Amino acid sequence: MKYQSARLWKVSRRKHQHWLVAIVLISLLWASPHLGHGDDKTAAVDFDRQIAPLLASRCLDCHNKTEHKGGLDLSQSKTALAGGDSGKVLSPGDLSESLLWDYVSSDEMPPKNPLTAAEKALLKKWIERGAKWGSDPINPFRFTTVHRAGYDWWCLQPLTNPKPPQVKAGDWPRGEIDRFVLAQLEERDLAPSGEADRRTLIRRLSFDLLGLPPTPQQVREFVADQSPHAYESLVERMLSSPHYGERWGRHWLDVVRYGESQGFERDKLRDHFWHYRDWVVRALNSDMPYNEFARLQLAGDILRPGDQAAIAATGFLVAGAYDEVGQSQQSAAMRAVVRQDELEDIISVVGQTFLGLTVNCARCHDHKFDPVSQVEYYQLASALGGVRHGERDFQPQAFQPELAGRVRELDGAIASLKRERDELSSPIRERILARRKENRDQYVPPSPIAEWNFNGNLRDSIGELHGEGFGGATLHEGRLVLDGKDSYVATPPLDVSLTEKTLEAWVSLADLSQRGGGVVSLQTLDGTTFDAIVFGERKSQHWMSGSNRFLRTSDFQGVAETSADQQLIHIAIVYRADGTIFGYRNGRQYGKPYRKERPQRFTSGNSQILFGLRHSPAGGNRFLAGTIDRVRLYDRALPSGVVAASAGVEYLDVSESEILAEADDETRARLQNVGFEIINLTQQRRRYRHKKIYANVPQPAEVAHVLIRGNTTQPAAAVAARGIAAVSGDSPDFGLPADAPEADRRRKLADWITSPQNPLFARVIVNRIWHYHFGRGLVDTPNDFGFNGGRPSHPELIDWLAARLIADGWRLKKLHRLIVTSATYRQASQFRRSAARADGENRFYWRKSPTRLEAESVRDAVLSVAGQLNPQIGGPGYRDFDTFVRNTQFYNMRDPQGDSFTRRSLYRTWVRSGRNRFLDVFDCPDPSTKTPARAVTTTPLQALAMMNNSFVLRMSQRLAERLVAENGAMPEAQIRGAYELAYSRPASDTDVEVGLRFIKQYGLAAYCRVLFNSNEFLYVD
Amino acid sequence: MSIESLPTRREFVTWASAGIGSVALAELLARDSVVADDSNGGAASISHHPAAAQRVIHIVLNGGLSQVDSFDYKPALAKWHGKPLDSEERPDVFFGKVGNLRKSDWAFQQRGESGLWVSELFPHVAQVADELTVIHSMTAETSNHTPATFQEHTGFRLNGFPVMGAWLNYGLGSDSHELPGFVVIPDPRGLPAGGSINWTNGFLPAQFQGTMVRSSGTAIDDLFPAKSISPTTEKATRELLLELNRKHLEARAGEDELAARIRSYELAARMQLAVPKVSALQSETRQTHEAYGIGQEPTNDFGRGCLLARRLLEQGVRFVQLFSGGAFGSPRINWDGHEDMVRNHTREATRIDQPVAALIGDLRQRGLLDDTLVLFTSEFGRTPFTQSDAGVLGKGRDHNQYGFTVWMAGGGLKHGIAYGATDDFGLRASEEILSWHDFHATVLHLLGIDHERLTYYHNGIKRRLTDVKGEVIDEVLA
Repeated sequence: MKYQSARLWKVSRRKHQHWLVAIVLISLLWASPHLGHGDDKTAAVDFDRQIAPLLASRCLDCHNKTEHKGGLDLSQSKTALAGGDSGKVLSPGDLSESLLWDYVSSDEMPPKNPLTAAEKALLKKWIERGAKWGSDPINPFRFTTVHRAGYDWWCLQPLTNPKPPQVKAGDWPRGEIDRFVLAQLEERDLAPSGEADRRTLIRRLSFDLLGLPPTPQQVREFVADQSPHAYESLVERMLSSPHYGERWGRHWLDVVRYGESQGFERDKLRDHFWHYRDWVVRALNSDMPYNEFARLQLAGDILRPGDQAAIAATGFLVAGAYDEVGQSQQSAAMRAVVRQDELEDIISVVGQTFLGLTVNCARCHDHKFDPVSQVEYYQLASALGGVRHGERDFQPQAFQPELAGRVRELDGAIASLKRERDELSSPIRERILARRKENRDQYVPPSPIAEWNFNGNLRDSIGELHGEGFGGATLHEGRLVLDGKDSYVATPPLDVSLTEKTLEAWVSLADLSQRGGGVVSLQTLDGTTFDAIVFGERKSQHWMSGSNRFLRTSDFQGVAETSADQQLIHIAIVYRADGTIFGYRNGRQYGKPYRKERPQRFTSGNSQILFGLRHSPAGGNRFLAGTIDRVRLYDRALPSGVVAASAGVEYLDVSESEILAEADDETRARLQNVGFEIINLTQQRRRYRHKKIYANVPQPAEVAHVLIRGNTTQPAAAVAARGIAAVSGDSPDFGLPADAPEADRRRKLADWITSPQNPLFARVIVNRIWHYHFGRGLVDTPNDFGFNGGRPSHPELIDWLAARLIADGWRLKKLHRLIVTSATYRQASQFRRSAARADGENRFYWRKSPTRLEAESVRDAVLSVAGQLNPQIGGPGYRDFDTFVRNTQFYNMRDPQGDSFTRRSLYRTWVRSGRNRFLDVFDCPDPSTKTPARAVTTTPLQALAMMNNSFVLRMSQRLAERLVAENGAMPEAQIRGAYELAYSRPASDTDVEVGLRFIKQYGLAAYCRVLFNSNEFLYVD
Repeated sequence: MSIESLPTRREFVTWASAGIGSVALAELLARDSVVADDSNGGAASISHHPAAAQRVIHIVLNGGLSQVDSFDYKPALAKWHGKPLDSEERPDVFFGKVGNLRKSDWAFQQRGESGLWVSELFPHVAQVADELTVIHSMTAETSNHTPATFQEHTGFRLNGFPVMGAWLNYGLGSDSHELPGFVVIPDPRGLPAGGSINWTNGFLPAQFQGTMVRSSGTAIDDLFPAKSISPTTEKATRELLLELNRKHLEARAGEDELAARIRSYELAARMQLAVPKVSALQSETRQTHEAYGIGQEPTNDFGRGCLLARRLLEQGVRFVQLFSGGAFGSPRINWDGHEDMVRNHTREATRIDQPVAALIGDLRQRGLLDDTLVLFTSEFGRTPFTQSDAGVLGKGRDHNQYGFTVWMAGGGLKHGIAYGATDDFGLRASEEILSWHDFHATVLHLLGIDHERLTYYHNGIKRRLTDVKGEVIDEVLA
């Protein structure tokens, strides 16, 4: 049935209106034979085909079983005849007694869009002829109509195994695919094209299967290969290349909305999500059967608990954005909405990726176009209701057997970069230190606002903050002696307010095991707020900046104290106005500074200084046991050099910013590159070994309820996990109760989706694969096989391919092999005006359409041709951005240089708000959208990027260097080499002549820039 | 044939109105059987009805402008100042704290002939009150900044949908042959939360996304070579490229895409001339600079943005979006006045008040305001009570999704009117309650587009800016 109708599709599609007319006509002829003859008095009214769809689309939204406005439920005969709050609405055979007709004919109902005259006429006739009911309750999905698809929709039917048709040009086909294609061409009087030449074929195949250009060597070998199976062997070599998984993995990542940041307000980095990408690449490279590939992504954590790879696979479920702020907001009602939004994202990716059905459109009402009910949406929500975003325990070693080697490599790379940095920076450091020395004589130290020398008294030698001793505090040989039990010193209130400040003390400890004593503290008089130099409170033997509730405390990560019990130590803590806090020990930075949201302000009259006590009230572990020689208080943040001078040591710390400021432009650029790469590699190293992974972290699923109009505050009936009834094949009934365990629900769903009986599962994937090989699918909407999607151009071919895939054990590489060895694929791309007039879109494959390189391939090909591509497969991605967090995580793009950044674009860290503008202009999709087919645009911004971007300019230079290195100093040889690299063909004499003229005047690098910009480079025939 | 593949099949390389946008739209309409004939080669009229406005400038206040402190005068707040909200239902607010009611810290006055209420927060905008079409009854679906901001721009709370500017760029294209149709001028203090997601094309083809143009420093990325290249080399480079491409095309006669790419390089060259020209603010008079507050603080940044916006519109850019405010967090650089309204809103308003008023005055004086639409919006408003413990009068206000104010000005609108209302305290919209879908529908309507007919097929749905909702606010139309 469906294929008969599909064959009617062979009409001109050049104009949409024809197309539309065709849909209408066919649908009328096929699905609703009677609708076109409304005036025909003798024709019967067919309830299921005519009335049920009408009621369903125009009335049932408000008058159904769950939601019965005005007490009326029109979905079944019993309730429809019973009527609503205003009494009976239907009197079979009697129009005047039918309230329903009054409402409808007066346009009162439906309230916003009244019925058309034809619809009214139909309804009228139905009532007049006795309002006979059909399927009860109404099943609006039973038949396809002009408005929507029903159970009889083509893609929902079981797979057939059609025979390849007979064709006239019997010598053209190489296999079955070609006979399906040729039959359609012949029907249109179109001739296929002959086979493309070998150079074209290898370039086409290489970009298609690997996303990279072939090397000149590979081209030469293939062109010279005399074997009758030269092409087939080439295909085998490419399919077994590890770059195959990279290329086809990227396609898959488009579909599953792979993003390495959370999205929404904060857009935090997902540091540990790259495993999912690697899992996809490996699965494709190892030719994992597609049904298993899908099952693991849906339920790997359940099917193979403990298998690290299977856990990584579930990244599919949570690859989308995650609303962290929304999930943590105060209002439970709003959190529920956020969770439902999240489920919609997950349901939609499952439905579109594996079934080609936009199930997500049924969240608020039955699907308007496809036979998916709202109840079914919530049944899927039940099946996926335990899926949660999050991080879970992970054993990196088990996932990545070569981990140790990778880490060693990184260590080596980092060490060598650090050496490079030191070599670049040490002469500069020497210069700075020498200058400091010269300047030291002129140095005037800043004055503190208070100072205590403890020379026989507790007096402030500068101001009036004279101390008063408490407990057993004594003075001995110019030092304040504190027993650690009850002794401390306090001053009267300060007469200034302090925000920025420095606390400085010379102190010796009675023992190093004490915990929590304060050396000097600035506190409010009530002791509830304080900043203090504290020893060992949080971490034994470590100095820290103490504060109330640790608000301004972080670990300096300094070294453990080992000598303060034997000698005086100089300790200073500097509090900057921007919230940064620095520690110093003996004039050198103690660990690392850290930054807190804001500094604390201590107000005049309400603050005081304590010695020997962390904060008042006196007690607990707040006392210090030791001696203090001197204390100074400053009303400013002392710079590092001043602290060093004050401690009496030579100031040897030279900050990175000082070095950069001192360096010349070239050195600065190199230092910045090296520094950036060190940061990148260091965090890659960390990410390799990290023991968490971003994946599905299932939680016990609640009982799902249908939500009326998708509204979380209006739950209706509870539903159990279940498949979609419209899909032929296995029963959609999972036999589970509504409160079944999460794992059972998801496992059953995975079984149902990936069943060989499910016709959508196989059809959708063969169409995807076809789409990427030809630039368009047999159904040109690969995520939507429903009513709104495209109709198949070659329905039998889809089914034949699907059946083959299943028969071949779901091996995708076999499918690729079938397709790329077909005569259809191997056609030349030569444009033919006559054929284009009949089929301008090349829907029927009278040639192979030329394609523009995709964004990643543009960059990868530039790198490859320039000889700069780093072929490393897998591992944490590189980052081409600086990032900082200011509540939201921000990404500033940069153009990083270094080997670790010249990996394939697949390994870029794909953050949602930090898109790479170079890749972006070439139609790289927004990582938040599920992208079944990329747009291909041509814009001036692309031209600007290719001409001017620093990456392209640099690679032009690198290519020029490569050409010289490989071809010598003669420009002619360089040009010939360039053509082999960039275009996979020899240069003609004219090409050489033109090139020579240019290079002579403008140089080789400028010439390389032209090649990268040329259409011949950017397009594949 | 799917709409998704349209741009690949045609020569879609011009920014012009006869180019990308309009052709795509004509195709689209043809599919919908609205335009019966596309035989005139794609130059079909693109409007569903005559457009009252030709271009838009959208001023976006990030963080949430307090309606009760700016345009929505609520005398009841003065009476109830310091007292708890007398309500049976406790409002559900973002941080969950419902403090006492707080009167506005800015005095309100009726302004101009229209008598519109504008507070002292916006003394300059107050002087052009008669130009404004104020809407008091906006509501949002969430009080969470980013989903609310997405909704403000795309109609949806989620990531991944095209913003209004991208829709208009797709539907109408640019009137300029040299400049993109949709330009974004960010706040120099920082990008809004979500960065470029705020001007994404979503599922529309990438050429419809916003192009970031800075009001100082480098105007557009990659406009010129990253390192200096002599003009003679540059010229020879273009010539050689053209020669190679022509030769390549000769063997492939009929391939539209290849011809289109050749033309895209010509357009790029024209952009290189046009962008420096349009961003040369120094060519404006001293009076203009002074009027926009350029050269003085705190108005310099936004003044430059407003002036650049006007210059872009004059050159045919369809939609310019100007951001006031960057990301969230501390210290605050946007309108998110949780802690201290006086400090926060004073700082933010003084940056933009004079420039915005100057822009409106300037557009009016040049006759541009007649067919230009100015939009002034914030993702939501703020609560009339303070964000503090119950019974306490604090200084800051929390987010308010239930009722807030936006305004429009310019072509096709009734001027000097206020539409809709909130309750006595300015908490909830109470009359003519509106959603972003209604707002978007109205903007499209003013530009000659029926919001139900500007569609793009994506994953099973013919998507609209207005989802399946939205009604044009007829009452504000002239």
